[in-house]
Amino acid sequence: MSESCGNPSSQTDALMDRRPKFDRNKLCIKCKTNTGNVVIRHAVYCKECFPSMVVVKVKRSLDPYINATSDVPRRKALRASGNLLIAFSGGLGSTVALDLISKIYFPDAQNKLNGEHPRGGKSHPRNKRVWDKGTACYVEICNAFPGMEDKTAEIRDVVESYRYLEFTPLRLEDAFDKQWWKKVGGNPGRDIGIDLNNEELLISELSSEDSNPVQRLRSYISALPTLTAVHSAIQNLIRLLLLHTARVSESSHLLLGTNLTSLSISLISSISQGGGFAVKEESFEEWSTGWTKDGASTPAVIRVNRPLQDVTLKECAVWVWWNNLRVVGRDRSLGGRQGIGALTRDFIVGLERDYPSTVSAIARTCSKLAPKFLADGTCALCQRPLQRGIQEWKARISIRTIADDQEPSRNTSAETSLAPYLCYACHTTLTSRSSRSAPTSTSTFPLPLWVHSHLRPGCDAQIDGNGRDEVGMNSLANDSEAWERRKVDREGMKSAISDFLLE
Amino acid sequence: MTFISLRIEFSGGLELLFSNEKRHKITIPAQVPVDNNPKVDGPRNGDTKAADMDFLIHWLREHLLKERTELFMENSTVRPGILVLINDTDWELEGEGEYQLKDNDEIVFISTLHGG
Repeated sequence: MSESCGNPSSQTDALMDRRPKFDRNKLCIKCKTNTGNVVIRHAVYCKECFPSMVVVKVKRSLDPYINATSDVPRRKALRASGNLLIAFSGGLGSTVALDLISKIYFPDAQNKLNGEHPRGGKSHPRNKRVWDKGTACYVEICNAFPGMEDKTAEIRDVVESYRYLEFTPLRLEDAFDKQWWKKVGGNPGRDIGIDLNNEELLISELSSEDSNPVQRLRSYISALPTLTAVHSAIQNLIRLLLLHTARVSESSHLLLGTNLTSLSISLISSISQGGGFAVKEESFEEWSTGWTKDGASTPAVIRVNRPLQDVTLKECAVWVWWNNLRVVGRDRSLGGRQGIGALTRDFIVGLERDYPSTVSAIARTCSKLAPKFLADGTCALCQRPLQRGIQEWKARISIRTIADDQEPSRNTSAETSLAPYLCYACHTTLTSRSSRSAPTSTSTFPLPLWVHSHLRPGCDAQIDGNGRDEVGMNSLANDSEAWERRKVDREGMKSAISDFLLE
Repeated sequence: MTFISLRIEFSGGLELLFSNEKRHKITIPAQVPVDNNPKVDGPRNGDTKAADMDFLIHWLREHLLKERTELFMENSTVRPGILVLINDTDWELEGEGEYQLKDNDEIVFISTLHGG
């Protein structure tokens, strides 16, 4: 054995000293007088200084995005152009987000409820509301799977404890409910579905017998090829339900409870599922509503912010404990324990315990990434930026075996295929099977209603008639290069490259 | 043999693994085996040490945990994602598993993984 390493069994000095998890001593790094109570990324904070540290992080993440233009840094000048929608899942992050947003941005309402007068008087600029109206929105997913508990009543109790916030409950099956779609301004036309057994995702008319939204939701979920796809699809449905709700409630901001740890998890998970082109949208996005307000020249935009993006999971847990907040909790088993999301979560949470700064390095590094090319519209399913030529690229890089009797589809018209309208991640979600999953026996599966509108822009004048970046079914086919895939024998391949062969 | 009394609290969904009871009052020996074996009752033979957090975690697994050990423990300590507070202070400031327990200490285990 080498002398430099020593023998741990006989020489106790050879063992490396355990490093403390904090940098200097046990005194709070902020007040420098109190003994610390919590270690956050190697820094020690006492119970008195911890809340202000979290509040500063939230304000730093959100304040620059509140005003329509970001050149007004001061709190007293903050004024949003619309209302506020807070996404509330009942989980740890959104519980903390709801509490912090109400304390920071609706303090006058809280004081009023407590019978206190606002500091500086009612008309002081500091006491003016940043948003006129705040709404907390919850999407209940219990109907997606049999046997799941409906938590809407519990969630309502939590939201109603913030009495100046309104509560809007939604259900996951609303994504397939024509009544809901009409309510948010959509125009449901004929029902269309796709064939998930074909990579082209051919579109066909759906039988109207299956008109129950819950049945449609379950058909959609059961058709997905992997547990990872199920988790990813549900996240997308929730996100789009929230965005459409934000639009009808005239909200300028949609706030999510994603914290630093869960942001790093979703970044890594999204990239590993092929969502690299839209990696920026995982941390911040601006969604064009397609509606133009009176006097405005451009359609209104909803900003999707994550005010806890600098606050770790540990800080959230400490906040909840010290403020005695109630966490309803949410089901984490949707993607299975072996899904990409669950495996990434286990990895990142373990990493955070041993190397807490590395988790923030993931988020900071991803925030610097930008796609090489501009987006070519938006994906019909997730409505995130769409990269041009994805299907051609995928066909070029894929190695696949084609049976003799299975000629690749020629001249697949864009009129019948959904694939050209999907981003790489969504196409992979719908088509990438694991080695164990078998093709489904049912032929056609329903789609969320916003996909119909995306494919038929003329039908939804209310939504799409204001210059939104939608594509008609034929326009994309006309603009694209014509590619044809066919099987070529060895002689054919040889003759194609014969000019370049050395004799 | 002397004993020490402890107040234990589980939160963030962790209580579901412990008979759905949030608060527990327990008594453990002041001197425990160095290998953290919680099964030995009565006079101890062999090397002993003062009861510490490492032993407490093993004791809780043996005596209070009702199901799914893997959601509470991993590699002889608590699973990543579980925050431990000793008398309202992060256990990372107190030496984690090496913290020597005192009579009437309050130990809180908070799961951050129940919903986020």
